[in-house]
Amino acid sequence: MSKQKIPLRVLKSLRGLLLPAVLLGLWEYTSHRDAAHAFAFAPLEQVYGALRELLAGGDLWVNLLGSLQRASTGLLTGAVAGIAIGLLMAFSRIALTLINPLYQGIRQVPLLGLTPLISLWLGNGEPSKLFIIALAAFYPMVLNTYEGLRQVDLRYREVGQAYGFGRVLLFRRVLLPAALPSLLTGLQQAVPFAWLAAIGGELIFNAGAGLGNLMMSAELGARMDVIVVCAISITLLGIGMSQLLSLASSRLLRWQHIR
Amino acid sequence: MSKSAVIGWHWPAITFNPRYTGWLASWISPLALLLAWVLVCRAQWFPEQILVSPQDVADSARDLWSSGDLQDALRVSLYRLALGFSLGSLLGIAAGALLAHSETARIYFSPTFNALRQVPTLALTPLFILIFGIGETLKIVIILKATFFPVAIATREGVRSIPRQYLEVGEAYCLSSWQQFRRIIFPATVPAVLTGIRIALGRSWMILVAVELLAADSGIGQIMEMGRQMLRIDQVMVGVFLTGLIGFSLDRSLRLLERWLLRWRHQG
Amino acid sequence: MVARRLCAGLVEKMREEKMHTGFIRQLLLACVLLLAFPSVLFAAAEPQEIRIAVVAMGAGGKQVFVGTPQLVSQDPVLKAELDKRHIKLTWVPVATSAVASEVNEDFASHNIDFAYYGDLPSVILNASGISTRLVAPGNLGSNVYLVVPPNSTAHSIQDLKGKRIALNRGRPWEVTFGKLLAANGLSFSDFKVVNLNPQAGASALAAGSVDAFFTLSDAYTLSDKGVGKIIWSTKQAPNDWKMRAELWGSQDFVSKYPDLTQLLVTADIRAVHWISQQQNRDAYLQDQARFGYPESVIRRDADNENVSWKDYWSPLYSPAIGSHYQAVVQHARSTGLIRNNVDVNNLILPQFVAAGVKDLGLGTYWN
Repeated sequence: MSKQKIPLRVLKSLRGLLLPAVLLGLWEYTSHRDAAHAFAFAPLEQVYGALRELLAGGDLWVNLLGSLQRASTGLLTGAVAGIAIGLLMAFSRIALTLINPLYQGIRQVPLLGLTPLISLWLGNGEPSKLFIIALAAFYPMVLNTYEGLRQVDLRYREVGQAYGFGRVLLFRRVLLPAALPSLLTGLQQAVPFAWLAAIGGELIFNAGAGLGNLMMSAELGARMDVIVVCAISITLLGIGMSQLLSLASSRLLRWQHIR
Repeated sequence: MSKSAVIGWHWPAITFNPRYTGWLASWISPLALLLAWVLVCRAQWFPEQILVSPQDVADSARDLWSSGDLQDALRVSLYRLALGFSLGSLLGIAAGALLAHSETARIYFSPTFNALRQVPTLALTPLFILIFGIGETLKIVIILKATFFPVAIATREGVRSIPRQYLEVGEAYCLSSWQQFRRIIFPATVPAVLTGIRIALGRSWMILVAVELLAADSGIGQIMEMGRQMLRIDQVMVGVFLTGLIGFSLDRSLRLLERWLLRWRHQG
Repeated sequence: MVARRLCAGLVEKMREEKMHTGFIRQLLLACVLLLAFPSVLFAAAEPQEIRIAVVAMGAGGKQVFVGTPQLVSQDPVLKAELDKRHIKLTWVPVATSAVASEVNEDFASHNIDFAYYGDLPSVILNASGISTRLVAPGNLGSNVYLVVPPNSTAHSIQDLKGKRIALNRGRPWEVTFGKLLAANGLSFSDFKVVNLNPQAGASALAAGSVDAFFTLSDAYTLSDKGVGKIIWSTKQAPNDWKMRAELWGSQDFVSKYPDLTQLLVTADIRAVHWISQQQNRDAYLQDQARFGYPESVIRRDADNENVSWKDYWSPLYSPAIGSHYQAVVQHARSTGLIRNNVDVNNLILPQFVAAGVKDLGLGTYWN
């Protein structure tokens, strides 16, 4: 029985790779069309060569770890701050009235547009980069925390009150589980934002260890192959983080999912 | 008045609606901030190049307006945003619903979807330029990509987290597919989708400015970038305020839309 | 501690004797100032560190900067001098993509005292009210190139009239572009100038979305990859058309600590003297390649100049530098990049280089 199932499962998981394979084939074809296309679409063999070169030199690891570390620190800071503010806004009308307008206004300003201000006030080094990452993670966390708590159905609350739940118990048993999906959605959005903000910050602000920095030096020499390797690494790491989060949230929300 | 009336178990979903006083109150903190800004500038705690005064920003705005630069930039940026955002949202909703609903779609498209989502657009700009040129199409496509994924994900999650009981109720009432959709699925997912759209809006704004910095021939991003190059921080601030203001208004409109769509929630 | 007790004692005494003479008040004020702002007492003393901004690459976790700044950072004489005074030399890295803005912002927020950077941004900075001074001129300048697609029929800027040209606005080489246009009787309005950053510009050229691209030595990379053809460069133009970069110092620092400035400038001259020797040319060019540009690009950029290697690196102030900056100011004003005028004569402080050259006995080396 199990012997029959395995090939089927393997086949099934391969189905998902069909589209990517087609796209890769298209890429390889395009890169060999002419010099202009080879300029933008680095041939896959060159990309592979660049990958080996970077691994051999240790460059890839150093920069990868640098980016990851930066992104995690910023993400943690931003997420914690976001949840805190979201909680505050959901439970205190005064906080909501005061914070909400400011939050909505500042949230809409693109992070890149704030670069000159951040550069002036925080300088061009690590603090600025961390600030941008934290800010990128902060926005969705606040929104989703607040919305999550706000959207909890009135009836759930009434049920909780009917059971005679005190405030803390109400929070733990009714609000938190009901708001958890939103919180996790917020986190699922915060992670890619924070990751891209980390790379973006490395591109904008000064040098350090990071995939963004690696991309920048590759751009100087027009090493598109290195850039593609970086882009792929960034993508893979981003996927990895999202997958981890997805798994975690599936487990946490097992009681709620219907399919 | 008891403490709980001030910091209590308020359900903002019910109590926070735009009555007159509510709207007025939302101006308190921005005005307070403005006041603080004016005072700090007057006290000259920071050199004027670091903290530009509100007066400078206002002057700069006036100059840009009278030279027509501001209107042109706004028109161009908003056009790009509108087109890219609406296309991206529509495609995103469709894709998200598809992914949540159809197992087959999920199998074939999920890996690619998850992969492409994380690809940093700005890194692949040379590629995009080669495919789309450097005109409006490039910018709209980039905004589309930025909008598509958050909306698709939010839609997918929204559809997936419909509580089982709702669908069972629908089955118990023997509702048709369309009725099921209209009465159960749609209202249950709207909050999540709208949240996703609102997040996507912030995302699109950011990408819009980034694009306008890279191919900075026009738009709000270009005004901010040139301001930075010329060390005219007042001009940068004009851009900051403008984008904040516009984004805020758009967000407000989305909220009103959400309130209208969810009005059934508040009854009973 | 002692001062505090003294002041406290004074205050007590004042209260007791109710002596409100002006002198006592002044004394009290001096005490307060001493306690609150100890730096006032030490105004004549020296800072803890000298902060210099430099363009740097950080891939791999280490800051990499090349050329004159690198040699200065390794200069043993300078290090010894600064160690004697317990002053640290801090190098503040800035990203290549936004050198001008970041350095200007750093000067504005007083985060740096010196910077190695370009001509146009320093003019913009001074026009905005923050004063910096040119204390050590850099080399003769960087070359700028006009690149067209490989199959283009254009041979000169005249052939490109009315076409699309990718040019990154706000960067120093737009001044060179202005000079090229003026020399050919053209103006900006004769072209469709598309503001693209260097990577986007390169792609646009490769894709044929623009008809020409005006940029630095990355032009060679494009021609190597077969996506571009160089039809003009500053090698064929008067030398003051090249894009210049120098050592700038904030006016505050330079006027307060001229001796420290002198130390730095002398170290800079030592570095430049080393580089300018023919036998070191190869080592220098190879070192430049660490930055990211391929070595062949750097070599071609440096070859075939109409001045000798030695003269290319001369740090001596010459009237040509002054007129170069006049042109920069004029361009900036006419294109609306700056609103106020900048007095070029105020910008340049030749005394440091003169003293440094004399100190090192290089008086006749460059003449």
